[in-house]
Amino acid sequence: MRVLFLLGILCFGPAAWCSAAPFEFQPADRVVLVGGTLIEREQRHGYWEAALTAKFPDLKFRNLGWSGDTVFGDSRRRFEVTDENIGRRRLVELALAEKPTVLLICYGTNESYEGMAGLKKFIAGYERLLDELAPSKARVILISPPPLEAFGAIVTDPAPQNKNLALYRDAIKELAAKRGAYFADLFAELGEGTNKTAKLTDNGLHFGDTGYRDTTGPFLKSLGLDPAGGYSATLDPLRQIILEKNELYFHRWRPQNETYLFGFRKHEQGKNGKEIAEFDPLIAAKEADIGKLLKK
Amino acid sequence: MIRYLLAAFGCFLSATAIFAQANATIPDPDPEIERKTFIVPEGFEVTLYAADPLLAKPIQMNFDPQGRLWVASSEVYPQIKPGQKANDKIIILEDTNGDGKADKTTVFADGLLIPTGVAPGDGGAYVANSTELVHLKASKPGEKADQSRVVLSGFGTEDTHHILHTFRWGPEGCLYMNQSIYIHSHLETPHGVKRLNGGGIWRYRPETMQLDVLAKGFVNTWGHEVDAWGQSFATDGAYGEGINHVLPGAYYVTAVGATKIWKGLNTGSPKHCGLEIVNGRHLPDDWQGDMITNDFRGHRVCRFKLSEDGTSYTSREMTEVIKSNHPAFRPIDVKMGPDGAIYIADWYNPIIQHGEVDFRDPRRDHVHGRIWRVTAKGRPLVKKPDLVGATTPELLERLKDPELWTRSQAKQVLKERGAKEVIPALDAWIAKLDRANAEYEHLVLEAMWTYLNVGVADEKGQWLKPARELLRQLETAKDYRARAVAARIHATTHPTAPEAADVLTTLATDDHPRVRMEAIRGLAEFPQTPNVLDKVLQAMNKPVDRALDYELWLTVRELEPVWMPKFRAGEDVFKGNVKGMTFTMQALGNASAALPLLQLVKAGKIPKDREAAAWELIAQTGGQDEIGQALAFATQPGLPPATVSPVLDAIESSARDRKIRPMDKYITPAFKSIVSPSPLTVYRSRLAGLWKVESERPSLELLATAKEFGPAEQRAAFDGLLSMGGEPTKKFILNAATAGPDDTRKLAIIALSGIDQTTAATFAAAWLAKAKATDDVSDVFAAFLNRKGGSPILAKALEGKSLPPDVAKVGLRTLRSSVQDAKPLQEALTKAGNLTAPKTEVTPEELKAYVNEVALKGDAKRGELVYRRKEATCLACHAIAGAGGQVGPDMTSIGASAQVDYLVESIFNPNKAVKEGYNAIKVTTNSGKVIVGIKTREAEGKLTLRTIEDKEITIADKDIDEKSASRSMMPDGLADQFTRQEFVDLVRFLSELGKQGPYAPSKARVVRRWQQFEPTLENMNQLRRGRAALAAETPDAFTWSSVYSMVNGEFPKSDMPKLTVWNGSAPISLLRAQLDVTTAGPVKLKINNAKGLTLYVGSTPVAVKEEMILDLKVGLQNLTFGVDYDNRVDGLRVELDDVPGSPVKVAIVNGK
Repeated sequence: MRVLFLLGILCFGPAAWCSAAPFEFQPADRVVLVGGTLIEREQRHGYWEAALTAKFPDLKFRNLGWSGDTVFGDSRRRFEVTDENIGRRRLVELALAEKPTVLLICYGTNESYEGMAGLKKFIAGYERLLDELAPSKARVILISPPPLEAFGAIVTDPAPQNKNLALYRDAIKELAAKRGAYFADLFAELGEGTNKTAKLTDNGLHFGDTGYRDTTGPFLKSLGLDPAGGYSATLDPLRQIILEKNELYFHRWRPQNETYLFGFRKHEQGKNGKEIAEFDPLIAAKEADIGKLLKK
Repeated sequence: MIRYLLAAFGCFLSATAIFAQANATIPDPDPEIERKTFIVPEGFEVTLYAADPLLAKPIQMNFDPQGRLWVASSEVYPQIKPGQKANDKIIILEDTNGDGKADKTTVFADGLLIPTGVAPGDGGAYVANSTELVHLKASKPGEKADQSRVVLSGFGTEDTHHILHTFRWGPEGCLYMNQSIYIHSHLETPHGVKRLNGGGIWRYRPETMQLDVLAKGFVNTWGHEVDAWGQSFATDGAYGEGINHVLPGAYYVTAVGATKIWKGLNTGSPKHCGLEIVNGRHLPDDWQGDMITNDFRGHRVCRFKLSEDGTSYTSREMTEVIKSNHPAFRPIDVKMGPDGAIYIADWYNPIIQHGEVDFRDPRRDHVHGRIWRVTAKGRPLVKKPDLVGATTPELLERLKDPELWTRSQAKQVLKERGAKEVIPALDAWIAKLDRANAEYEHLVLEAMWTYLNVGVADEKGQWLKPARELLRQLETAKDYRARAVAARIHATTHPTAPEAADVLTTLATDDHPRVRMEAIRGLAEFPQTPNVLDKVLQAMNKPVDRALDYELWLTVRELEPVWMPKFRAGEDVFKGNVKGMTFTMQALGNASAALPLLQLVKAGKIPKDREAAAWELIAQTGGQDEIGQALAFATQPGLPPATVSPVLDAIESSARDRKIRPMDKYITPAFKSIVSPSPLTVYRSRLAGLWKVESERPSLELLATAKEFGPAEQRAAFDGLLSMGGEPTKKFILNAATAGPDDTRKLAIIALSGIDQTTAATFAAAWLAKAKATDDVSDVFAAFLNRKGGSPILAKALEGKSLPPDVAKVGLRTLRSSVQDAKPLQEALTKAGNLTAPKTEVTPEELKAYVNEVALKGDAKRGELVYRRKEATCLACHAIAGAGGQVGPDMTSIGASAQVDYLVESIFNPNKAVKEGYNAIKVTTNSGKVIVGIKTREAEGKLTLRTIEDKEITIADKDIDEKSASRSMMPDGLADQFTRQEFVDLVRFLSELGKQGPYAPSKARVVRRWQQFEPTLENMNQLRRGRAALAAETPDAFTWSSVYSMVNGEFPKSDMPKLTVWNGSAPISLLRAQLDVTTAGPVKLKINNAKGLTLYVGSTPVAVKEEMILDLKVGLQNLTFGVDYDNRVDGLRVELDDVPGSPVKVAIVNGK
């Protein structure tokens, strides 16, 4: 209700970019990003994170994206391949440990291949994930997955999949409304699959470096924020430190050799597991650098 | 030396690091010193192509069309340190002046994290970078890459020697990539998410972004190559089956979700890394087509010769390309080069692996690496072709070159030139091909592959006509290899040719089994084809060999979701093909198969020799009525117990796990037909209990206390009574445990532990205090150890009690073999038996002393005898060259891969470091049973464990209460039984295994696993009733036990049991070797000494000569040797050799 009300007021305002009420970031928000490949790869490009950091200098970001992931945590099962709950539980445990005040979640790309038949399962899975994340009391942003771009007949015809994605987008929107979450319609901002040629993606599906850069505007807009020219090259020094921080954090939460460090072979090399905590001060130092840079 | 240390570890070496370095065996890194250790076959030589500082720690290498060598290298491996910059590199080595030595290094990319694969192509290179596959590109040719594109992401990194590796371009333009056992990958593509849990080989086509899995499983598939006809081969760095023929879609060892696996071609071979096929004019004729791979543990570069064997191949190891005893020579990749020479990447490290040796072990080398080049002396090198500068017609002519290198690189260049440029020239080239040329069909294939590289379809996804015409020529080729690859192309090309399924249907009836195999695997890609199952089963109308049988099994199972609903709905999916239906139902092996099978059996349509197998399946999966009929079958008079036992086992499992009880109308007559004594009584007793047939109680009580039928019958009766349950059972068992003969009391106490552990423990403690230390006393301990919570209860009951020391020792032994950490019981037994606790910890000083002593005083020859002692139990669990127990890792090259300190520590404290794939799992079932073993399979709701007794036990997931990681299967305290000298000798022996010298891996085809006729009372009585020849004529009537040859291949005479058949008759020994023959023909047998030997081949006696020719039939063949004990001095060594021109395909059966 409140959202609709605000939307009514703001859209009478002068800002041409305005499509919805903005998501209101608070000073010192800890934003945890959750999702599949789209989220995972953002950490190695950093455009979206840099743009948000520039707007809200006190934000801290933790990216927990994992390629191929779903609301069921399918990519996070590791060795427990037959345990349908373990991936989601791992995700929830990791996310809660980061004490988020904002959860920015993007799922639906991988689930949507099942079309209408999988929709109910998807939403039920999403609800369960959100329920389990609720103890964080974080404000939740649900992002709709981006559309597929046409990439030549030899690869695939994007039309059927974009129909599926539209269906899932609608369901996510409904879910967000039901749960009082903020809905960011990236699918709409990126043209709902009407683009005739691939401009943003490397394969019809995933953004490359320029793709993340060029979608910074639509991404901000989907959050109701001023896209004002999208990403600016003046942010490059900031983005550079963000990338370094993200790399360190990746080694922290998803280290290589997990089998030996923390898994079933830890009796052999688990003694090296203590090294992993040594990433924490390194991450903190990078965040201090970000702070210093922004103050300049 | 000192300079090297400083270079390796910087100037910040701590005092302890220096100390550790001083004690480590780090060789002098001079490449020439290393080179001088190489032993190569006559006529070959090895030269240095590149060495540090040109490169460090090469992991994978691939040539580009210019003949430059791209190397992925990592100094960060095994694990990035906090604060360390990931700065691993892709470097390009170049020999600009053609002198056979690299003289230029370009760093193409840095800032990478343990890159484990590199494949130049598409204007740059594909690189495996931890979780990602990236494509790197330099905007200025010859310079560093400045563009990076993520191609795929979401590869697992659970273990850094398992991460994405072994990049290979297939001839059709697909990029093949492998991942190992611990990796779980989740990759998004425009065609959906692709997931691969566990090991496997990925196939990726960059243009269409199609991604799929060629085969699943393996441990570390660090070698893969595609041959001239498109067949894939792989090697594995952690399981020893030599060369693996990769069957499309097949499950190999460790595959997640597999119920049946396909095996490699050289069982019992050491582990390998890298794979290349020898070809080209530079190398001699008798090496052409051989496969080269690296035994990096044993410091060897190995060569295998393959020959066609129906659908698959046989493979045999030949003389090595390089042998060395240099501790840091670690050949890990091999590629043919542009000049026709063989290039070998040498990781150069005294330490391999990072599971068993600390990540930060200071002996790890991070800075060296070599590329070696093997050439044939006196033979001209191939002139390096100029491919990049060639015109398109010139490039196409290169497809006629004999060198695979040139042909595949030419296709790479053609691919980059694109369809518009290439297709007109290609069509013209094809038109000019001489159809009379013997190579014609292969050239058509090269043209087809070129089409696949540049694109077979137009922009709308329609096949181009000339491409389709080429494929048609392959489909109808004279050469079956061409027809086989045509089927593969139909199955794997996207978009597919319109009538692909029709072509595959025709090829499924081809004369050659490999073509049929490829065709049915292709049909599996087109599940919506009408009557697809019937079309697949047509492949069975001509002779089916094992590989085709496996692929049929796989295919009918994969297609189940398509045909089963139709079958259930009453559609005749089998079109009256009874043989096909029987096969399918047995392949399915699940509940849906029981009823149709029953109908077939009833109709008498199943051949007699498959009938019992059909009933077994019915009993495994059927309901009340089906089980009842299976019981009627199994208990009918006249069938041998060996035939019906599997059926009764299945009935029992169904009763136990699925609670299926047939109606009384089946039980009553069945039980009546089993009259004691009979081998089937045990089933009657146990089933009576499980089915609660109260009328059987009196006879069970009688049997339980009747010693005359033997302990097995007594035990079964107690089991039956236990399952029957109730107050009468408890009363009876308590009674039997209190009074009566010792043996019966023991059985009663064991039974009681299933009702009331505390009371049973009290009885047990009292019984044990007076027991004699025979082997079967262990049953009492096992009763508690194998039950949830049992061992602390027994420990408590033993408090303050005193046991005969030997009884306590048996207890400790049982505890060890239970693979559980049961500390309280261990302490209680040690105390009650007044024993000293086993030594499991070695101090650094002790370790140092052992290492010195092994070097100075250890004697490998004596050590082998220690190793072979029965009490040492080494052989029971570990094989050498594939012969021996399969519980622990094979020891063939342990000495070449493991450091002495590691060996010493592993014997004292086996749990400290466990080889991958050998971590035990402890399972507690819902009924409180404890089972410990190594996972061999986990699929379809069932978990199969291999126990320390080398038995496989399958448990349904729903019966599992708890599952947890357990300790190493190898018991603690094994070292206690040895004197210090024996221990030192044993370690010395182990440390020599796999090193050059008398304990080097051998390519000789020697019989290593023997089956020995046991001098048991029963065996001897049977033999006396007949003649010694009975052992050969009716081998299954006797019990045989496995024994193993020495490392040198001889089975020593001192280990042969002496059998005296009649009083006063000359003592003999009977030993049997088994040969597995897949194609019949003559083979030569070489025997060390014919004196005092007789031989039966099957049941036919043949005269023994030191070199003799045997004509072998297909199937398992027994060679039974009689040894005239007093007239023979030597042991027995039997080796197979070739008979020129013989088609025979034979493997020596080894294993446990």
